[in-house]
Amino acid sequence: MTLSSTLPAEAPGKRPSRGTARGPVTAAARTARRRALLNWVAVHSLAVAAALFFLLPFVFAFLTSVMSDGQALTTDYWPTSWNWGNYGKVFNTPGFLTWWRNTLLYAGLGTVLTIVSSLPVAYALAKFRFRGRNLALTAVIAMMMLPPQVTIIPMYLFWAKQLGLGGSLWPLIIPMAFGDAFSIFLLRQFLLTIPREYIEAARIDGCGELRTLLRVVVPMAKPAIAAVALFQFFYCWNDYFGPQIYASNNHDAWTLSYGLESFKGAHHTNWNLTMAATLLVMAPVIVLFFFAQKAFIEGVTLTGVKG
Amino acid sequence: MSLASATRKGAGATAPAAPPVQQLLRRKRRRAAARTLAFLSPWLIGFSVFFLYPLISTIYFSFTKYNGFGSPTFTGLKNWDYVFNDLPAFWQGLRNTLWLVVVMVSLRVLFGLGIGLLITKIKSGVGLFRTFFYLPYLAPPVAATVAFAFLLNPGTGPVNHFLGEIGLPQPGWFSDPDWSKPALTLLAMWGVGDLMVIFMASLLDVPKEQYEAAELDGAGPLQRFRYVTLPNISPIIMFAVVTGVIQTMQYYTQAIVAAKVAGGNAGNSGQQFEPGYPSGSTWTLPQMVYNLGFQRFNYGAACVVALVLFVISMAVTSVLLRRRSGFMASDD
Amino acid sequence: MHPTTSRFRRSRRTVAAVTGSAVLALLATACTGSSDGGGSDDSASGKDVTITFWHGWSQDAEVKAINDNIAAFEKAHPNIHVKAVGNIADDKVNQALRAGGDDAPDVVSSFTTNNVGMFCSTKAFVDLKPLLAKDNIDAAKTFPAAMLDYTQFQGNQCSLPLLGDAFGLYYNKKAFTDAGITNPPKTFSEFADVAKRLTVAEGDGYKQLGFMPLYHGYESTTEHFLGQYGPTYFDGSGKSTVATDPKVAAMLNWQKGLVDQLGGYDKLEKFRAAFGEEFSAKNPFHTGQVAMAIDGEWRTASLATDKPDFEWATAPFPVPDDQKDTYGRGYQTGTIVGIASTSKKQAAAWEFVKFLTTDTDAVVSFANAIHNVPSTFAALESPKLIADENFKTFVNIAKNAHSTTTPAVVNGGGYIVSLQNLGYDYESGKQGDLAAGLAATAKEIDAAIAQAK
Repeated sequence: MTLSSTLPAEAPGKRPSRGTARGPVTAAARTARRRALLNWVAVHSLAVAAALFFLLPFVFAFLTSVMSDGQALTTDYWPTSWNWGNYGKVFNTPGFLTWWRNTLLYAGLGTVLTIVSSLPVAYALAKFRFRGRNLALTAVIAMMMLPPQVTIIPMYLFWAKQLGLGGSLWPLIIPMAFGDAFSIFLLRQFLLTIPREYIEAARIDGCGELRTLLRVVVPMAKPAIAAVALFQFFYCWNDYFGPQIYASNNHDAWTLSYGLESFKGAHHTNWNLTMAATLLVMAPVIVLFFFAQKAFIEGVTLTGVKG
Repeated sequence: MSLASATRKGAGATAPAAPPVQQLLRRKRRRAAARTLAFLSPWLIGFSVFFLYPLISTIYFSFTKYNGFGSPTFTGLKNWDYVFNDLPAFWQGLRNTLWLVVVMVSLRVLFGLGIGLLITKIKSGVGLFRTFFYLPYLAPPVAATVAFAFLLNPGTGPVNHFLGEIGLPQPGWFSDPDWSKPALTLLAMWGVGDLMVIFMASLLDVPKEQYEAAELDGAGPLQRFRYVTLPNISPIIMFAVVTGVIQTMQYYTQAIVAAKVAGGNAGNSGQQFEPGYPSGSTWTLPQMVYNLGFQRFNYGAACVVALVLFVISMAVTSVLLRRRSGFMASDD
Repeated sequence: MHPTTSRFRRSRRTVAAVTGSAVLALLATACTGSSDGGGSDDSASGKDVTITFWHGWSQDAEVKAINDNIAAFEKAHPNIHVKAVGNIADDKVNQALRAGGDDAPDVVSSFTTNNVGMFCSTKAFVDLKPLLAKDNIDAAKTFPAAMLDYTQFQGNQCSLPLLGDAFGLYYNKKAFTDAGITNPPKTFSEFADVAKRLTVAEGDGYKQLGFMPLYHGYESTTEHFLGQYGPTYFDGSGKSTVATDPKVAAMLNWQKGLVDQLGGYDKLEKFRAAFGEEFSAKNPFHTGQVAMAIDGEWRTASLATDKPDFEWATAPFPVPDDQKDTYGRGYQTGTIVGIASTSKKQAAAWEFVKFLTTDTDAVVSFANAIHNVPSTFAALESPKLIADENFKTFVNIAKNAHSTTTPAVVNGGGYIVSLQNLGYDYESGKQGDLAAGLAATAKEIDAAIAQAK
């Protein structure tokens, strides 16, 4: 963390300091400048401290991940030898690649299905006028706030006992073809901001509702769709409860989040391997974030501010 | 659902119209209803199959004895009596949840607000700092929890090693019933990125003129915060608190993974994991649904706990809906 | 506009169809009965059949041993193929048995006897009595009585013993010599003395701990310790006796005394948090972190493989001073195997179970491979059984008349978990009033059993 070394000396001076342009610097202006400098130092020291709090866990996890088996059990901070092979060992763990494939399938397919099924619903809730619309919206919000554990017993019996889909991820993927409450809500909030005139114009041009949605609304809602897609992808990627219920008794259907915990179980105090696996599970999410930072932050803002 | 019945569109203008017009309007109305229904259909199915039906089933199962074999038999209020009177873990779980709601949610909101404020004050490297502060929020909960279990391991973790070096007491963190919830709180504060972004955006939305006016009136930084910032962002604070409470009602993954990893028998075959480790201090209601339903196979009692969870969650949600009418805003 | 509208009409019809089928599926969510008597299908009639077998073994040597056993079976029954899935815990077994379906197991084994009551009373496993009778196997003359006991529940023989486990004392001979100790302790007072002498401090922790008494210290659990006392657990009417049987309180107090004597809960817990995994070369006894351990007979195999740099030996775990004459006893349990009632290949499954549990060669070779106690009379007497002194300790514990197990109960091992939880609270000092804690635990156990009936 060499951030503190980037202190630009002129930064405080950029503040408007009236009266300094001509003649001798007055005492008042000097005090103001000093206060601004102190303020700058205080803010940035706090920021560096906060950055340490947020980043050190990653740093420690990384340093441990390259330690030897023996050293990982000690309280050392710094690795004496750099064992990059630990990452290879993790990849060679039986099942690790299967977990990757399953997670990608769950997150990828789940995201596509969610967008396709949620967009028309969000559009209808935002732009159609019909009786019961508020009721429908309330129901969407209720569903969004519902802890998944509330309905898990009947849902499990339905999927596993009636449809025989236990031991797979399908009970988690299929429902996403029928709209996801959070995505519907978020998309609707965004679609509200699209001026009605655009849609009316498309209608006058003779577009049907579906074509209006695809040709006019979708292009305008791209940022929101991207944000919702990211959220959904992350949700699936991170999901632990779902795979634990439906996929846990079939090793071939495990996801990374679920497998990581059992990895910890099997390599109890091989903290080096566990940390390497942990970072490998985090990595794709973080890479994705760097590519789509803007869409992501916009999405988060949308949940809270544009309500 | 009366969604399909008719749309309001044009309804006002129909009264004295001539038959052909009426016919035309009726056809138009019917077509509009069909269109609405078509657009809503995925969700209507989803709502019925994945919400309404399981909810009704859960209520039904809560009055039956059912272990997954044979068929459920009606037992009246027996499960309710068992959960409320003979299952001490239930009350422990409720108390833990209350602790998390009071301590974890408020600390997380305060910390998120603090970090949001800090970001708005930073002059150099804002983008970099913002990314740093946001990053932990992205860490998958299982991975983040495993990493924290390592960092806070009382024997080999760097945190206690450091605390020992500077002469501070070394808590047992995830292994000590008094410290397990504070450790989870620390983990939650680490992932404060979502709140930070929301607060940051709302802080930047506060009109500059208001600050300038306050400054002219001689208000210091604290007074400006109290009289200008707070009133402007109070709806966002409210939103953060309510969604925080709802998230805490669903608190599951971090608690169960921390307990499994620190309890030392994650995934050991033949050994069933001890929920709420240590000493039930990390029990939460969602975990209890899992334990009763999928480890003890007492579906009836699991459904009772699920319904308690449902009632509390919906009560909190209704507060959110009432306080933030913006949630239900429409453009007409 | 028209094409669009008609498309919507069509999609509306589709919606109706989809909704309809979903409703039908939901209506079908009523009951599926469990099948009646097993083994009457034609899966063993000679045509090719594959059965799925779930077990809990995960260590390489153990997995190889069970696979060798399976290979021997497949050789003898060329038409039956066994698909083995390892490292499965009991709750997953329970979940899969309820779901049924193609992926569900036909044959299931479990490391503990705790859930036999649940497996039998819920009819998750089929009663094997008719099958034993059909093949003229006299269970009482084949399996030792204690083992036959823990594989049935109220007359329903829904599982059979697949090797047994007994618990005893492992001790580090080098540490003993260094501390000037010649013989393994026989009573708890001798044990406390030895544990203390074997403990070597280092900083504010331990270089070597005499014994890890905490209930999370792997096999040092409440029920294993209670095996040295022989409590009743339940009275004639099925009510919990943990609050009334003085042996339970005596054990909890003995353990608490040991915790305090060896440095206190916090210090021990900190040491324990750095232990390596139980079933690995990092096991604290292997690494020399602890000088004595309570463990099952399988540890003799892992120690033989890992070859720690010290000599070690086994003995029965000590007994309370007022029960001196019971020395030689230990907690007894075993792996059990049963046939899922959801299985559609029960005849083939029975052939496999019969082979695993009653074929003397199979039992002996498996026992030799994973160092478990054989579970048939014939195997116990077999000349092929490799039994060195360290292993013989456990065979003798298994044969000891004072050795006890935990009884099968309708809701499985719930009562053991409840008692274990009290143990955690008591050792950590969270529960100070033992009498009140025991009374509350007894109430909890009774309520849970009443609930499950």
